[in-house]
Amino acid sequence: MRSRRLALLALFVAACVARADLLPADRPIHEVIDHYVDAKLAKVKTTSAPQVDDVTLIRRLMLDLVGRIPTPAETRSFVESTDPQKREKLVDRLMASPGFVRHQANQFEAMLAGPNSRGGGGGLRDYLARAVGESRPWDQVFRELLLPDEDDPKTKGSSDFLRSRVSDIDRVTIDVSVVFFGVNVSCAQCHDHPLVNDWKQDHFYGMKSFFARTFDNGGFLAEREYGLVRFKPTKGPERQAKMMFLTGMAVSAPGVKEPTKDEEKKEREKFEQFKKDKKAPPPPSFSARAKLVEVALQSKESEYFSRSIANRLWHRFIGYGLVMPLDQMHTENPPSHPELLSWLARDVHSNKYDLRRTIRGIVLSKTYSRSSKWTAETVPGPGTFAVGRLKPLTPMQMAASLKIATTDPQAFETGKPEELEKRIEGLESSARGFASSFAQPTDDFQIGVNEALLFSNSDKLAREFLADGNEKLIGRVNGISDPPKAIDLIVRSVLCRPATADEQRVLTEYVTRRTDRLADAYRQVIWALISGSEFRFNH
Amino acid sequence: MGKHKTFCGSGDHAISRRGFLGTAAALGTAAFADMTQLNLLSNPALAGELKKQQKRVILLWLAGGASQVETWDPKPGAATGGPFRAIQTAMPGVHISELMPRMADRMKHTLVIRSLNTKNADHGGASKLMMRGRRDEANVKFPDLGAVVAREMGRADSKVPDYVTFYTQTEGRGMAPGDAGFLGSRYAPMELTTNNMPENIRKVDGISELDHQQRADLRDLLSKQFAQGRTSPTLGSQNEAYQRVRGLMSSEALFDITKESDKVRDMYGRGQFGEQTLIARRLIEAGVPFVRVARAWWDSHGQNFETHQEMVPELDQVMAALIDDLKDRGLLEHTLIITLAEFGRTPSINPSLGRDHFASAWSCSLTGTGVKPGVYGKSDATGNKVAEGEVDAAKLFATIYSALGINPHKNYYLGARPIPLVEPGTEPITEVLA
Repeated sequence: MRSRRLALLALFVAACVARADLLPADRPIHEVIDHYVDAKLAKVKTTSAPQVDDVTLIRRLMLDLVGRIPTPAETRSFVESTDPQKREKLVDRLMASPGFVRHQANQFEAMLAGPNSRGGGGGLRDYLARAVGESRPWDQVFRELLLPDEDDPKTKGSSDFLRSRVSDIDRVTIDVSVVFFGVNVSCAQCHDHPLVNDWKQDHFYGMKSFFARTFDNGGFLAEREYGLVRFKPTKGPERQAKMMFLTGMAVSAPGVKEPTKDEEKKEREKFEQFKKDKKAPPPPSFSARAKLVEVALQSKESEYFSRSIANRLWHRFIGYGLVMPLDQMHTENPPSHPELLSWLARDVHSNKYDLRRTIRGIVLSKTYSRSSKWTAETVPGPGTFAVGRLKPLTPMQMAASLKIATTDPQAFETGKPEELEKRIEGLESSARGFASSFAQPTDDFQIGVNEALLFSNSDKLAREFLADGNEKLIGRVNGISDPPKAIDLIVRSVLCRPATADEQRVLTEYVTRRTDRLADAYRQVIWALISGSEFRFNH
Repeated sequence: MGKHKTFCGSGDHAISRRGFLGTAAALGTAAFADMTQLNLLSNPALAGELKKQQKRVILLWLAGGASQVETWDPKPGAATGGPFRAIQTAMPGVHISELMPRMADRMKHTLVIRSLNTKNADHGGASKLMMRGRRDEANVKFPDLGAVVAREMGRADSKVPDYVTFYTQTEGRGMAPGDAGFLGSRYAPMELTTNNMPENIRKVDGISELDHQQRADLRDLLSKQFAQGRTSPTLGSQNEAYQRVRGLMSSEALFDITKESDKVRDMYGRGQFGEQTLIARRLIEAGVPFVRVARAWWDSHGQNFETHQEMVPELDQVMAALIDDLKDRGLLEHTLIITLAEFGRTPSINPSLGRDHFASAWSCSLTGTGVKPGVYGKSDATGNKVAEGEVDAAKLFATIYSALGINPHKNYYLGARPIPLVEPGTEPITEVLA
């Protein structure tokens, strides 16, 4: 058994690519990314889509980094800049802005919630915003989520992640493995995984053993000193699970002896008292959960942790993981670019899990800034990263961008960056309500008729985005007497780029056929753009 | 088999090995290709095939949990049998509660299952379970019955919605919203919670019919421009959704009950449940594959008998009207009427003269296409346990899918991972399939 496990571990490590064969650690991240992606493209004899133009690049970067489209002035100043470093400077400015903290907190919240969106509510988001704002390393965030200290104001809210799941320990086991380690052990709950040698029932119950002592004590997380997991394997008699990490690394817990009835009673009374006092019980002398955190972050075992977050960040910014699906990182489902994933994971690990570093590297790569358009015959597969991927906007990206797009662009030309930031933040929080009209995109996301009906006929949408008003785009447009000029302003505001000659012609024709109701005509043009495909995606 | 193995194909779940290998091989290496063809109904040959056999479903959802004792599985003479008698039905030897005289007359159309043991007696979890036939996994959010039927029976270019759900009362509404799970919002229901007319189906004042149409054309034109050289399942679904808007708007009249004669309206009754069920009939007649009508307030922890005395006759009237109406229109043979709840109620009677949550031996009924009328399964003399023919949620769903002509072992794909429609290893109740 032991030798088998070692063999499997060896397999996993082999899949992770020997470190000595990787590009040097001090090469810039974006260069390493392009090196490996281009090498694979050359190997499969595929070309790649050209780099995007400046207007597309700033829109893409802003949506990805700060969660909204740029204002016309922001686009203009980026496009007009002749600074050869303008892309780096924009990235650094955006990443230093409060918008980055807000948007990435939303993204981490969605990631922790998973597709079943058992989120923790506002508390968790506030915690994540603090964590992103202070650039807390990812291992620290992991520790604070799994070992929350309710008395520490710095980590307030982090307990929501476990508390919202603790009534179902199987769920905790599965969700923690999926979110932090990129593996879904749920198949191994009932039997050894038939196709993935890595996953045995021992793994599922081994992971579960770390959480089995955790429970909800009157709204506070608590952990017992004892508690063993027994399970019935598909073959043989029922047995007791070992606390065991996904690598097969087993932990011997002290005091495995189950308590006597008397001891049990005493402990129950102790917890009852904490419940009455509305206090968080202190951790046990040996915390199984703390042991998991320790084991998961020790050198060999941390491969899972580093590789998973590297893959997830890649997926967030590129739109498609190096390993897909994100929860199927195992030997039988190799990454599209094994060296690249290993290099990124090593980089994340050796730079103390500073995720900003990885994010910056990804968005500065040429791989990131490829056009999403492919005009030649056969479209290369998504795992080649030869073409930019269309990313549907998240509910908050969508709602915030609708606000920006339909606001009078003059309103953003305040001159002072702090004032602009304040204004944007105000728009974003006023957009939060409308955001709930949209679904959180998943891989292979489908847009339904409800959204199309909402755009087509909702009174609320019309009122919120298309109504007359001082600070509205429609108000500004109505003051322009020359239709082509008005069209130009609309397209710049909504699509963040100048109108093409065809669009100018078609849209001008559309409004000049409605001179008796010009304001309505402009409203309809704005509608056609905000409901259109180009607006719906980060492209 | 493709080099990427990402799923659970264990023999423990008794998936046919050959079928499994077959799908995996067909999958090849291009896992991506599958999802771009998510809507196989756009294939004309397949669409024709489905059209021929198109079946529809009306789910009468008894939210809160109706009592099996006061409906399909009376226990006259048992200490906990309650005050109501059992009456003989048109099916020799079969008795149901005296609160359902109309259904007693129509028993030769209906299959009653008296042996549900679904193990979950908590409203939230049980509602999810009985709408899906299975429990969500960490990273897999399963579609509910309505979404699956919409996906299997709906047409891509349909001018009517393919999944409509009425849920006006508030009890349990948050626990059992219609949900397309991983099938995505393309199959999400049109949900009616405040009145009988769907949201955003009517044009707002302030834009003319012509402008409404032409701005949509303008949107279409610009979006087509953008779609050149770009392929994505999401992009396709968005444009498809907008193409359906005009058609859906024209289905407004389907929701207009005043288009029915007084005679028909009286037959269903003038209550909300009757009216919504009548709308459901109008919808499926126009080609909507799945409609759910939820009727709540069955959660009778107190005053169980008064509650059922008031509500079961309404259910009896509505169900009987629906059966007669569908039969008259030649639709019964294509339609499956399901009456189902999240669970039943305890045989034991609590001190408030109520019955509590109970999932160990309860009943549901299936009427119409694909099923043989009669009774399947048995609860014991007191109604506390299943005595014969135990059916769990997975088995019930396998039976429903089979009755509709949908292979319950069919796989959907999440990326490259095959997800069988029902819990692996589950077979339908073959004895009741027509």
